Amino acid sequence: MNFTYPKTPSEAVSGALKMFGESHTTATIWKLSVAVLLASLAFVFYMLFTEGHAAFNTSSDGVNWGSAIATYVFFALISSGLTIIASLSTVFGFKQFYPIAKRCIWLAIVTLIAGFSVLALELGHPFRMLWAVPLGMQIHSPMFWMGVFYTIDLGLLLVKFYLMWKEDWDSPFSHFIGNAGFMAVILASGMLGLLFGSMAMRPMWFGSATSVFYILSGVLSGAAAIVFSVHLAYGFNTKNMPEPLRLLAQGDQLPKVFATLIGIVLLFLLTRIWVGLWSNIDGMEGFVALLKTPWFHIEVWVCLALPFLMMLTPSMQVDPKWQVRASFLVLLGMFIERLQFIVAGQNVPMFKGTWMNAVTPYTPSLTEWALVAVGISAALALYALGDRLFNLSDAPKVSMEAAGQLARG
Amino acid sequence: MAKWGMVIDLEKCVGCQACTVACGMENNRLPGENWQDVIFFTEGTYPSAQLKWFPRPCQHCENPSCMAVCPTGATYKTEDGVVLVDWDKCIGCKYCMVACPYGVRFYTDEKPLVAPDMRKVHEGKESHSWNPPWKMPDAREDWKHGVGIQPHDVVSKCTFCYHRISKAPKGTPDLDPQDPKLREFTPACVVTCAPGARFFGDLSNPESNVSRMIGDKRGVRLLDQLGNKPQVYYLTGDGGAVPSSRAINKKV
Ligand code: SF4
Ligand code: SF4
Repeated sequence: MNFTYPKTPSEAVSGALKMFGESHTTATIWKLSVAVLLASLAFVFYMLFTEGHAAFNTSSDGVNWGSAIATYVFFALISSGLTIIASLSTVFGFKQFYPIAKRCIWLAIVTLIAGFSVLALELGHPFRMLWAVPLGMQIHSPMFWMGVFYTIDLGLLLVKFYLMWKEDWDSPFSHFIGNAGFMAVILASGMLGLLFGSMAMRPMWFGSATSVFYILSGVLSGAAAIVFSVHLAYGFNTKNMPEPLRLLAQGDQLPKVFATLIGIVLLFLLTRIWVGLWSNIDGMEGFVALLKTPWFHIEVWVCLALPFLMMLTPSMQVDPKWQVRASFLVLLGMFIERLQFIVAGQNVPMFKGTWMNAVTPYTPSLTEWALVAVGISAALALYALGDRLFNLSDAPKVSMEAAGQLARG
Repeated sequence: MAKWGMVIDLEKCVGCQACTVACGMENNRLPGENWQDVIFFTEGTYPSAQLKWFPRPCQHCENPSCMAVCPTGATYKTEDGVVLVDWDKCIGCKYCMVACPYGVRFYTDEKPLVAPDMRKVHEGKESHSWNPPWKMPDAREDWKHGVGIQPHDVVSKCTFCYHRISKAPKGTPDLDPQDPKLREFTPACVVTCAPGARFFGDLSNPESNVSRMIGDKRGVRLLDQLGNKPQVYYLTGDGGAVPSSRAINKKV
């Protein structure tokens, strides 16, 4: 897969169009995801024009925020996690991680765009948001700050990526952007957690631990996304990879970081459930309901505990096949987690009488599932585009040698 | 400035839902979207179970969490203590609905609560979400204060009938529907309440009937532990009770 990478915008456009006629893994992903994106977007728009948001299964009586918000959170946190992982090399000087830094930044950009797009389609008035939020200056609102920090984050990611594209890895300006980006992303993902964590009337969400959980589980999602996408980019065959990247992919450093992160997130989830089942504050009934759903168990046992064991087993952790399996499971698990977290927090109705169930059921509608498909296919399409156009495995030449040595041990 | 508040005497309330209906007519609500609701619940088990009811409008909190979370300032508090939604600023993010501990807010575009869907039977014009046959005069419509038939994709809630109370003569301590001069300025639910269980007045005036009743009869507030400090007070006397939990004795 020896691409000639375009140098000008017009070359980039023709490169993107050319991809429809090419046949390699990236081109296949591109064609498939563009097709899925167009189909799902068409369906969502059709439903929004004919039914409006009534096509969603959310309701004023129970779950106000449904799968669209969960999808947004899923992508926004993957993006934050990827930025933090990129910072390992660009901010903290762990040079062995340089070969994935550029890919991380690109993926962080595309997942954030995918997340924002889904959010915009969920909002009643997405265009009004563009002026009403900045003019409103509602500094009491966590949502206001989340918007501010994620906007700064996206801006810095774009600048950082541009610098990397121009092979400026090490200038003081590039370092400054890297550092600022790291701070912005911690604030953004922490504030996203606080958006839920500051809700005293929603005890399943309440507490600053929600912010910490969002940052950590974001890093885990980012780690899973980068492991998966690196292998995806090279057709799941490490032989195709450039040397430093191959050493990183076959070494045990990334899997060990990955396993540690899974362990931390598992511990967080299990202690949260423990506290939830023990405390009897009004509104915690959602935890009991959570334990009764199969999805919760799939998430904990299949999508987290199993990959945790895989990535701890020496023979599996260095085997790309198992890395891919583990990262796929973790991504699936994180999606389930976002949905469960958001839905369970609203399941116990706020203040309703006997005609309401004790726990309000919620299943996403077809339109809401189509919106999930919009998010996933948008992220994949943009990812493939970047992979074809921008040489995402690029890294500073000098550091590459150092990276090789470090990874060899 | 007045600080409008409501007192509901639970010993007098008979759970007839006349307030709910009056509010629906006055404010052009879609069937089922009750800004003012009477919530029925049971306490105890057979054979000693009791059926109870509890009228619940927006509490027009002193410290409204719905306003604190709103990213645009669409939800705001007026100088005279009423919490309103500016339909020209609301982006429909629903954060306020998530943050209100009393579940009193509604999003316009949802699956109909009652069939047939009245929005399809009486289709709305000019971005109105529907066109009810009994609608309030256009002159009263006021989107900045969340009054009228709401547009698409915004959040709506009880306004304490802002189109009425905001026209009351300044300095009035109580809006008493028995007084013919004040009747048209009194919230529709208060006017209509047959047993006279609802009172409306100025909480900042220690001489007002509502302030006195709250003091003399020990008015209590709903879920006060959450810190929203409602401006709706309930009098319980011997017979009534304010639910202390939102789950109202139900097993998961
Ligand atoms: S009851 Fe809810 S909607 Fe009304 S003011 Fe209080 S928090 Fe806001
Ligand atoms: S839905 Fe409207 S009123 Fe509610 S928080 Fe969002 S912008 Fe504010």
